[in-house]
Amino acid sequence: MWEAIILLRDILLTYGMVAIYYVMFVNVLYFAIMLFSFKDIRNIFRRASFSKYNTLSGSELVPSVSLLVPSFNEELTIIENVRCLMTLNYPTYEVIVINDGSSDSTMDVLIKEYELVPLTNPEVRGSIPTKNVRCVYHNEKYPHLLVIDKDNGGKADSLNAGINMSRYPLISSIDADSLLEKDALIRMARMYMENPEETVAIGGDVRIANGCVIENGAVKDVSLPKRIWPMFQSIEYLKAFLGGRIGWSRINGLIIVSGAFGLFRKDYVIAVGGYRGGYPGEDMNIIIKLHRYMLENKLKYRIAFCPEAVCWTQAPDSYSILSNQRKRWGRGNLKNMIENRDMVFNPRFKTMGMLTMPYNVIFEALNPYFRITGLLALIGYVLLDMTNWHILLVFGLVNLASGYLLSVGALILEELAFRRYTKLSDLVKMLFFSALKFVGYHQLGVLWRVQGHIQYLQNNNSWGTMTRQSWKDKNKAA
Amino acid sequence: MSPTATLQRKQQGDIRSLIEQEVRKLPNSTCGLLYLYCAGNLPDLEGHVNRFLQTLSGVNSEIRKDETTQTLAVLFPGLALDAAHYQSLLLKQHLLDIKPDADPKMTLTSVSQVPSSQMLKTLAESARLSVTTDIQIFTDDQAENASRILIVDHDESVREFLQIRLAMQGYETLEAVDGLEALKMIPMWEPDLVLTEINLYGIDGLPFIHHIHQLDVKAPPKIVVLSEKRVEQTISQCFQNGVDDYVTKPFSPVELDARIRRCLH
Amino acid sequence: MFSNIALAYVFIYVCIGLIAAGIILLFHMKIKHNAEQKQMEAYREKHRDYFVYIQSHLYDDVELKLPPGPLKKLERRVIEDKLIDWIEQFKGESRTKLVSLCKQSGFVAAEMKLLESLFAGRRIEAAYRLGGMRAEEAVPALEELMDSSSYGPQSIIFARAIAKSADRPDQIRMMLTKLLASGKPIHHLAADILLETRLDSAALLHKLLEDSDPGLVKVALVAMWGQAVPAAVPALDRLVGSEQKDVRAEAVKLYLASNPVMKDDTIAQLMKDEEWEVRAATAKALGRLHAAGSIPLLTAGLHDENWHVRHSSAESLSRLGEQGFEQLCQAALSTGAARDIALSRIEQVMAKEKEHEAVEQIVSFNKKKLIYESYFGMTPKKVAVQIAGVGGDYSA
Repeated sequence: MWEAIILLRDILLTYGMVAIYYVMFVNVLYFAIMLFSFKDIRNIFRRASFSKYNTLSGSELVPSVSLLVPSFNEELTIIENVRCLMTLNYPTYEVIVINDGSSDSTMDVLIKEYELVPLTNPEVRGSIPTKNVRCVYHNEKYPHLLVIDKDNGGKADSLNAGINMSRYPLISSIDADSLLEKDALIRMARMYMENPEETVAIGGDVRIANGCVIENGAVKDVSLPKRIWPMFQSIEYLKAFLGGRIGWSRINGLIIVSGAFGLFRKDYVIAVGGYRGGYPGEDMNIIIKLHRYMLENKLKYRIAFCPEAVCWTQAPDSYSILSNQRKRWGRGNLKNMIENRDMVFNPRFKTMGMLTMPYNVIFEALNPYFRITGLLALIGYVLLDMTNWHILLVFGLVNLASGYLLSVGALILEELAFRRYTKLSDLVKMLFFSALKFVGYHQLGVLWRVQGHIQYLQNNNSWGTMTRQSWKDKNKAA
Repeated sequence: MSPTATLQRKQQGDIRSLIEQEVRKLPNSTCGLLYLYCAGNLPDLEGHVNRFLQTLSGVNSEIRKDETTQTLAVLFPGLALDAAHYQSLLLKQHLLDIKPDADPKMTLTSVSQVPSSQMLKTLAESARLSVTTDIQIFTDDQAENASRILIVDHDESVREFLQIRLAMQGYETLEAVDGLEALKMIPMWEPDLVLTEINLYGIDGLPFIHHIHQLDVKAPPKIVVLSEKRVEQTISQCFQNGVDDYVTKPFSPVELDARIRRCLH
Repeated sequence: MFSNIALAYVFIYVCIGLIAAGIILLFHMKIKHNAEQKQMEAYREKHRDYFVYIQSHLYDDVELKLPPGPLKKLERRVIEDKLIDWIEQFKGESRTKLVSLCKQSGFVAAEMKLLESLFAGRRIEAAYRLGGMRAEEAVPALEELMDSSSYGPQSIIFARAIAKSADRPDQIRMMLTKLLASGKPIHHLAADILLETRLDSAALLHKLLEDSDPGLVKVALVAMWGQAVPAAVPALDRLVGSEQKDVRAEAVKLYLASNPVMKDDTIAQLMKDEEWEVRAATAKALGRLHAAGSIPLLTAGLHDENWHVRHSSAESLSRLGEQGFEQLCQAALSTGAARDIALSRIEQVMAKEKEHEAVEQIVSFNKKKLIYESYFGMTPKKVAVQIAGVGGDYSA
């Protein structure tokens, strides 16, 4: 009996130690990726500040872009969003808003604001299958605006409908609750022109707009969110985009281009069959498909990240919306991993197969399980042997210190190249919330991911609720 | 006649006779005339100015004090407006070095013949009552030509330049940062010409131009576009929408002047 | 077992150490940067009068005076940046004046020194500013820098600086050759850089068209869009027959844009070209040229496999009077892609022509309306939108 307990204790300890090492290893790896970001950040700063965008933004030589804006029940934010997109600093582009069968008055609001009239026999150029398109609207006064009204079919379906109607060789997907900085698109185009043949997709930097002053479709005054949920997300995004994606893009292992703002070559998006409908995670899915297509056809390519092109997005500011969003992400990611499991550790897929995919499976998808079971094992161990309680502390500290270090690293990257938040108090606030994140929020994140996975296994495939506030209300509230 | 009025006339007579002398000496040249007023009390202003002007090599100057307005009139014989402008800004920097809150106000003009005493009085008053810290410049065109031009551009440095340039030409100007602001200002101010970028915040250039034509004003303003955009399609769309002229950046200021003049006459 | 935990301790200590260093660094950077910004703002305020002075007297026949007083390093930077701003904004005599002001103030010489700095960042910054100040004396040094750096954002910064500064055409040519040496198809970017030159771009482009390097020819062709260069037409004549398909496509587009007089078999040949861009450009030009044999060629163009060719053919047909319009109506009754494009064009024509007021336009519209009704009946026939139905292509 006693021996069995000792054996159990040893097993629990061993497993707990493995979990500690796992956490350490994950963070060292994450830090290595961040070092790539550090290596690149001065270059990014220079190319952003020593390129004059004004000559480029008026030039006939810049490729034309079709902006696709899928919108579902966005009556409160859509006008501000379209107003923003219609006034970008870019030579030739069109804005295609796709109303995905909204149940609110999104369509009416648009028709009223822009005095739209239906287009008889509109010419459809693509043939990706989509849900039924009811009508296409336009107004001669706004020659660059097109609105598609279609039956509800999800975000991917809307994007496909937009692709079918688009005129230009590049497409850019933008969320209806996001605002682009005036220069964002031209900055991306500059990056594209640098290497037009090999660039298949470019992702933009997404930041949290809650708390900023927004006027006439533009962020006028940048400041941090005043509410706690968006504040945590602010730091999370900073860490993911600056710390992670710059590094991943350097080794061409980027696995996702945010759905909120990305630029794609239309011919390749169509070659891979457009966006996958019917399941969340379509933004990660399209990137994996592009990687797969280019690698299988042995084409030289790059999927780049352009951190100087900034998109401000409205973050969920209540528990229920945020948890829904995160569960959806967890579900989508798991689905993408399972669908593309053949790429994992497959040398044919180069960086993608040997690094990105394994990393995402072992260190992202499975991360919560290691952490939770590790913690449980250590708790069990300590219950059996109270004298070694401090091992729990070690586990906690390893998690906390490494996580905090990554946040500090991301803040340094921000300070080196972008400096969007200028006040000293902002810095103090961000440092404080980076620490506070580990009390509660972090654990919730783990929980949501697990719940997302459970939903996947239960075949629950709803989008979840996502209610919006208008930009104006939000500025008051946030 | 009250004693002050006599005194005033005497003072002006002084500077006037001084100008008369200098103009006679250099018949084909101009003199810079600066009025200076220090709102922040600077003791012995006249002495400071005098000493400073003496250190400038190759620049002659004469100072007269106007007791009523408490202003100093500085005459730079033989200096054109630009050179006098430069000397004035050196003087201003010097005064600020001595006393950072001296708050010097300056009004500058150039004269090639003897000005009326009314004009001298106006100049002195404008220095004393000036609300800006900038050096104000009076040019000859100012009075007769008063076409109104509304400048619309989100780039502050472009607006500043155009404002200075057009004011020097004698136009009356106002600035708007974006299209929506401009649309509010046009019916109230009724400008003769709108000089606008087409890449604006708030509203896109083409609808903006369209909206201007829809506004309920007596005489619709002329529209001149000054833009980064060099895309042929955009330019022709602008002309189709009733734009009077289209100038691309980078631009030649002289050419812009000519185009604006052509539009207005 | 417990010795293993030592590593975890080390890990924690290292993390905490790095965190402390990071936070100190963060505060240091933030405070320093904010102080610098504040100082620069103060300098901007201090030199406001000088800035106004420059802007007021840029055109008169006067020599501008140098910025006043002994200047601190940051102060010089503020003034220099302002001058560069204006140089980018203006052209002509005003720019020349500002450029020589930069030289006299010693800004150019100071930046030239920085070009030799050991830090890559300083060199790039100096190159950018020298380009801004149009410093022709910096070109040889910039060329060297371009040679020593591999293709990337920094070599583009160098290339732009050379394009802005160069005062001889051969320097531009050299820069383009270096830029294209990477082998990437960056002709549009190169053309944009090329157009930053202050030399006579028409003459420069004309010369590049004769160049033996096909890459440079292509850059010149791309750059010529929107620039009327009539002197180039003979060179285009030759390039229209070029073996390189993208050079040929660009040349044909430009050639057709000059509204040339063409023989029927030349047109027919162009409409059969294997490169879709050539066919599309030809179809587009036919709408303007009113050549006799265009209508059958354009009708055939409606069935082309490429969308651009179909689109341009339909557009041109709609411009060729009643005869062209009738062909469109006929195509609208056929099947496949030709039907789609024709229908869409017909609707646009009918919607637009209703608005006309002049008598002959009304007459023309009524004729078209008659044709329309003979094909589709009195009321506009609504054809259901079919996104998924007909095949299309995505060459766009």
